[in-house]
Amino acid sequence: MGTLHVGVHYITRVEGHGHIVVDVANGTLQRCDLEIVETPRFFEAMLRGRPYTEASHITSRICGICAVGHATTSLQATEAALGIVPSEQTQLLRKLNFFGEILDSHILHVYMLVAPDFFGVGSVFPLASTHPEVVLRALRMKKLAGDLCAAIGGRHTHPITLTIGGFTHLPRADELEKLGARLEAMRADVDATVELFQSLKLPQFERETEYIALRQPDEYAFIGGTITSTDGFEYPISAYRQVTNETLLPHSTAKHTRHNRESYMVGALARFNVNHDKLHPRAQAAAAALGLKPLCTNPYMNSVAQVVEIAHCVEEALNLIDRLLVRGIQPEEPPPVEVRAGEGVGACEVPRGTLYHHYWIGEDGRITGANCIIPTGQNLANIEADMRALVPTLLDRPQDEVRQALEMLVRAYDPCISCSTHMLEVSFVGATQGNS
Amino acid sequence: MAMGDTLILGLGNPLRGDDGLGPAVVEWLRRQGLPPGTVVIDGGTGGLDLVLTMMGYRRVLIVDAAELGRAPGAWACFRPDLARVETMEAAFSMHQAGLAEALALGAALRVLPEEVVIFGVQPAQTGWAPGLSAEVQAVVPVVGQEILRTLASSPQVGGRDRYETGSEYGEDSDHR
Repeated sequence: MGTLHVGVHYITRVEGHGHIVVDVANGTLQRCDLEIVETPRFFEAMLRGRPYTEASHITSRICGICAVGHATTSLQATEAALGIVPSEQTQLLRKLNFFGEILDSHILHVYMLVAPDFFGVGSVFPLASTHPEVVLRALRMKKLAGDLCAAIGGRHTHPITLTIGGFTHLPRADELEKLGARLEAMRADVDATVELFQSLKLPQFERETEYIALRQPDEYAFIGGTITSTDGFEYPISAYRQVTNETLLPHSTAKHTRHNRESYMVGALARFNVNHDKLHPRAQAAAAALGLKPLCTNPYMNSVAQVVEIAHCVEEALNLIDRLLVRGIQPEEPPPVEVRAGEGVGACEVPRGTLYHHYWIGEDGRITGANCIIPTGQNLANIEADMRALVPTLLDRPQDEVRQALEMLVRAYDPCISCSTHMLEVSFVGATQGNS
Repeated sequence: MAMGDTLILGLGNPLRGDDGLGPAVVEWLRRQGLPPGTVVIDGGTGGLDLVLTMMGYRRVLIVDAAELGRAPGAWACFRPDLARVETMEAAFSMHQAGLAEALALGAALRVLPEEVVIFGVQPAQTGWAPGLSAEVQAVVPVVGQEILRTLASSPQVGGRDRYETGSEYGEDSDHR
């Protein structure tokens, strides 16, 4: 009978601090936790008492990787509370900035953090020696994504031009034209990315769960929509609490969530499972080439779904640039704001899944309460459920293989632990090593 | 890809005290005017993307605050192999990638300029406020002049191990 004690203390190549603790005695799983030890960050408390105008700038600091996602969601929540409807141009530009960030984050994750596992190396540094063309491609793609963000948001991360109701600075047509030309040239790199992931063998592990993502009738949703579950539920964004049901657990500084089952999954794979019919044809072709079909229940495929979304976002960014150029960038002032007491919820599909911001604003325009629910927090219970299903199938394997499989599982979720604390390290508990 | 002979890359965050040294030297050099073929960039708190910033140049001169284990304002010139990357494999996270990681990645990719020289200055403090300490402020024109002298002198391919003049060469030079 297997006795296995796994302890990964600080999981690498994820953002933030977390440990995996697995304890198996005589073939029975005693304990399987993903401990989140990142310090709580108290952003919601920081918002209380601040003017509503500062919320998007403060909350964008929750994360350097999905800062545009936080800023966009924050603006949505504030605008909902104050009854402001942004112009079509504003919505198009926000979406373009958002696609830049999804591309930046997904390229970082699939190339720098996930790919080394499949080349059997510890990090991107040895990969650069053996496969320089792969790493140079990643850097090139990431640079374009960052430049796209900077052209719209004023800088690569922590956007400064996004404001309530509009923008404080607009890109010039020639800037958009140049970015469009570079995005067209990037298609060859996207195709090469799809080919690379076709050649990588992902672990075979299936566990059905509930997949939740925003959905819109006419597009693959990233900004707004209805909260939609593969278990057949649908909610307006304002009813997010019926979905998230946050609870505190002793082993985690991040809260856990559950809806119709013991856990649910958000992120690229959940979006694909909910919205695959809305993908751009080139992204659908990429999914077909990569063997990604709905309903996909292998969590390791989240990275593959990210590759599919890279293809989608490049095409949709090109479409947006075309639309903006045809319309012409119009000089627009954000609409005047009539300060009033109010409450509003914003929701976006940021790189790692559905992000919610909920604000309460007082009569004086100061924030009286805030609630931010981050994708990684929503995935924690699902990662643990995956680990509980996966570990018993691995009991005959050497400890190093178990550790590698668990780390790769957690990494596939692309967790952003700093964001969610309010996560990685695997601990094999106990004195005995490996299998017996 | 930007092309040119020499890139001067100032690194650091002006909101973190003496970490603003790199941008301060960039600003000083811009005021002096630079020889043709020289590009000056304030690289801020750049991470792995610095590889792309440096690619295509024959030479890069990097200015940054560095833990030299010496008195504040002491400075040294050194080659990138001395910019130590501690526990790079174990602790690699995108939030921690900086110059040392970019140099390691550039070296692994074999795309670094043939000549890379780092001008490191010992900070007095890198707290949560803008502004250089008096000691580090005083060394800005000194390092700037040394960079101008380096530009004026004919570059030596394969070059010297160090150009250091202002202080002793710190054996334990460590990029921060």
